[in-house]
Amino acid sequence: MFWKKKRLEETDKKNKPQTIMDLFQHLKENPDFAHFQHQGDHFSCWISFFKTLVDVDYVHRDVFPCIYDEKIHSMKDIQEQLPIETIIRTKDLSMIQSKLLEGYIIIQKNEADTDCLIIPSIKIEGRQIEKSEVETSILGPKETFVESLDTNINLVRKRIPIPQLKVEELRVGKISRTRVSIVYIDGIANVENVNTVKQRISDLEVANLIDATVLALNISDNDNSIFPQFIDTERPDRVSGAVYEGKIAVLVDGSPNALVMPSTIVEFFVAFDDYFLVWHIASLYRLLRLFAVALSAFASPVYIALLTYHYQLIPKDLLGTLISSRSSVPLDPVMEVIVLEIMIELLREAGARLPTKVGQTIGIVGGIVIGTASVQAGLTSNFLLILVAMSALAAFITPNYRMATSIRFIRFPFIISAQMLGMLGIAFCFIFFVCHLLRLTSLGRPYIEPIYPLRVNDLKDSFIRLPYNFQNTRPMVLRPGDVSRMNATRTHKKKGKHKADIDE
Amino acid sequence: MKLKTLVILLLLALLSSCMPTNIIDDILMVEAEGFDYIGHNQILGTATMPNYVQSGNPGGQGGGLPSTASMMRYVSGITYDGKSLVDKFQPEGQRPLKIGKVRVMLFDKKLAKHGMRDQIDFRNRDPDTPRDLTIAIVEGSTNKLLTAQDYQTQIPISRYVQDMIQQNNEQNYPTSNLSQFIYSYYGNYMDPFMPLIKKIGNHLEMTGIAIFKKDKYVMKVPNKDTFIFKMLFEKFNQGVYDFEFAPKKHIAIRNVHTTINYKVKDGNSSAPDIYAYVKINGQVRQAYVGSISKSRAYRVEKPLEKQMEQKASKLVRTFQKKGTDPLRLGDTVRSFTYNFDGKSWPERYQNAHFHCQVTVNISQTGISQ
Repeated sequence: MFWKKKRLEETDKKNKPQTIMDLFQHLKENPDFAHFQHQGDHFSCWISFFKTLVDVDYVHRDVFPCIYDEKIHSMKDIQEQLPIETIIRTKDLSMIQSKLLEGYIIIQKNEADTDCLIIPSIKIEGRQIEKSEVETSILGPKETFVESLDTNINLVRKRIPIPQLKVEELRVGKISRTRVSIVYIDGIANVENVNTVKQRISDLEVANLIDATVLALNISDNDNSIFPQFIDTERPDRVSGAVYEGKIAVLVDGSPNALVMPSTIVEFFVAFDDYFLVWHIASLYRLLRLFAVALSAFASPVYIALLTYHYQLIPKDLLGTLISSRSSVPLDPVMEVIVLEIMIELLREAGARLPTKVGQTIGIVGGIVIGTASVQAGLTSNFLLILVAMSALAAFITPNYRMATSIRFIRFPFIISAQMLGMLGIAFCFIFFVCHLLRLTSLGRPYIEPIYPLRVNDLKDSFIRLPYNFQNTRPMVLRPGDVSRMNATRTHKKKGKHKADIDE
Repeated sequence: MKLKTLVILLLLALLSSCMPTNIIDDILMVEAEGFDYIGHNQILGTATMPNYVQSGNPGGQGGGLPSTASMMRYVSGITYDGKSLVDKFQPEGQRPLKIGKVRVMLFDKKLAKHGMRDQIDFRNRDPDTPRDLTIAIVEGSTNKLLTAQDYQTQIPISRYVQDMIQQNNEQNYPTSNLSQFIYSYYGNYMDPFMPLIKKIGNHLEMTGIAIFKKDKYVMKVPNKDTFIFKMLFEKFNQGVYDFEFAPKKHIAIRNVHTTINYKVKDGNSSAPDIYAYVKINGQVRQAYVGSISKSRAYRVEKPLEKQMEQKASKLVRTFQKKGTDPLRLGDTVRSFTYNFDGKSWPERYQNAHFHCQVTVNISQTGISQ
């Protein structure tokens, strides 16, 4: 223990520069660090920056000409003449260091002076805003977040052009000091929620923060739950929709995902495209997804339970089909299911990890080899093949990827318990999951909210989506600052006067 | 605490192998059981198992196990009555015999006459037998019926029998299954019944309804009177009644809907009056040429009503004479009477006056006038 402390002290002493000269000395080891003296006729100064971090074009075109100008005689002149809005003049060593490493230019009168000018000239390297690939959209906006935080905030801000939109920035990570932005609408978002988010993020003790999903895993209410507690989305339209609802969005620099919190379980089965369809159709699709989840979780466990224990429950017309398709399978139902499920999981994982060009073969391998050949080899029955393929397909229907992986996973405990105790085992396993979900919270708000605690008001946008003129209030679970979205009587008002038909 | 949970989980995992399993292709599902009485409280029992004949592996090149075709199809043997056939036959079974999926239970007429007390008690006690089991009395030997190879159909005999009885239950035959039978058997002031079937040549046939008094067979309602029986027993549709309005001149009427209402007067008197009001809404399926048209339908309705009333009264009269009550009239009287005197009912039932009023409405006479 105390060796560790000693070691830390040693390294700290060594690494922490005491003077600005120490800092330069230390940084000079880097080949991309530029540190030179400008010797002008009437003004000379020391300029230092990282060539790889600053926008070199910009520096050469706009900053240097101004500094080398004959009007400049002092540091103060630079501050006044340089056409840049924020030039910081500071003596704070730690600030100088961090700004230097973010891509600012430092200007000193003498090399040993602590009095510095800090001029922003950050180079932004990143990909263009592209079409959504994970959460694809057919009707709606196709923009997605990119890895740059400023671009992402721009995407959200232009959808919420009001002064009440608050963007608060925090730094996370002992070493990385990654920028994390909390976005919400002041007055609509619940203050308690905002404080919780702020507290959880600022209390976070991590070395570095690579992605928003890592943040989600770190600040979730229950770390051990297999269910994701915050929605991660790559769509700015979904984020702004949620922020308008009174939710809080968290964006992380370097991550193309935004977190939306708090979330309830129903929202994970909502595709944002649902809002672009007529309410009946959207509701049907949502119910379809719910059915798909049930199918995906229960199809193979029920197969095991019925075939292993409860032959009485099999319909008489199915009996012949089942027995004859299973007659050549040497394995027990449970082994048969596990073999096939693992095969499908292998296929899926291989498809996800392989490069796109090789990935196409996976479809053929999966479809033909695993499908037909495993039946012909007598490894699985025809019937089960359809069942497992259907449940795999049903798992992919979940719009949220992290939820989809959870749904795919929960069938395995069900399979094992079905083998142990039949239908009773499935019931026990179900009870276990229901208890877990009941206790789960997202940002302290109940996770399965419209169901338990029952909030009839929130059911209007859950398994079914009622028309927009019924969506007058914001979700109760969020406890929003402003409950009503719009005027309820005006949304239900008739559109115009009824005009009589010609012949009436 | 954590250790405790771990131990429990481990026990669950390890002890689960102690659960007996019934993997469907590793058991023999008994689908039909037959009981023939051979005297001295002994029966000849027969059990059939389905034989899902299938090539070893469709599409496979000879892979997998041999097909199920080699599986045994039936077992039979002598036992004392009231014993589970499955337990008796287990030593003969190629694989574990299981009774949970039994569809049909057949008893021969001799056993029915001898009395089925033990059989019924055993069925009522056995948790494995399904309650919606199809039961029937066989005229002739159940063993021969179940083991015969000369049927026109290739499907298992159990399914053949069940299909036949179930589809007839939706038409002219009253609903009958094990739970109905047991309800009538254990219920007060009512007697059970079962359909009667017979193997004729290379097929099976429904020949009527076997009426019981308590557990003993007493009489048979022939096939032509089952419509009348069902009409008095429950409301139904899709039955066909053949009406002979003049010698050799027939009209076949399908009932679209039939309702039955009972009224009872003086339920506690020595001769209670039972009124049955039947309403039949029917359509003509077949008719003797020129015998009926839409405008002359009433000419058929009246005599039809009269004939049905007579037949119904006659049927009930026979039941009263035999002292059996499959129509549950006693239960109806009880439900209409305060402080019903149940002890004297068996005697009073014989004297009860049965009045039947049938109203026929022929709503359609066919697509041509």
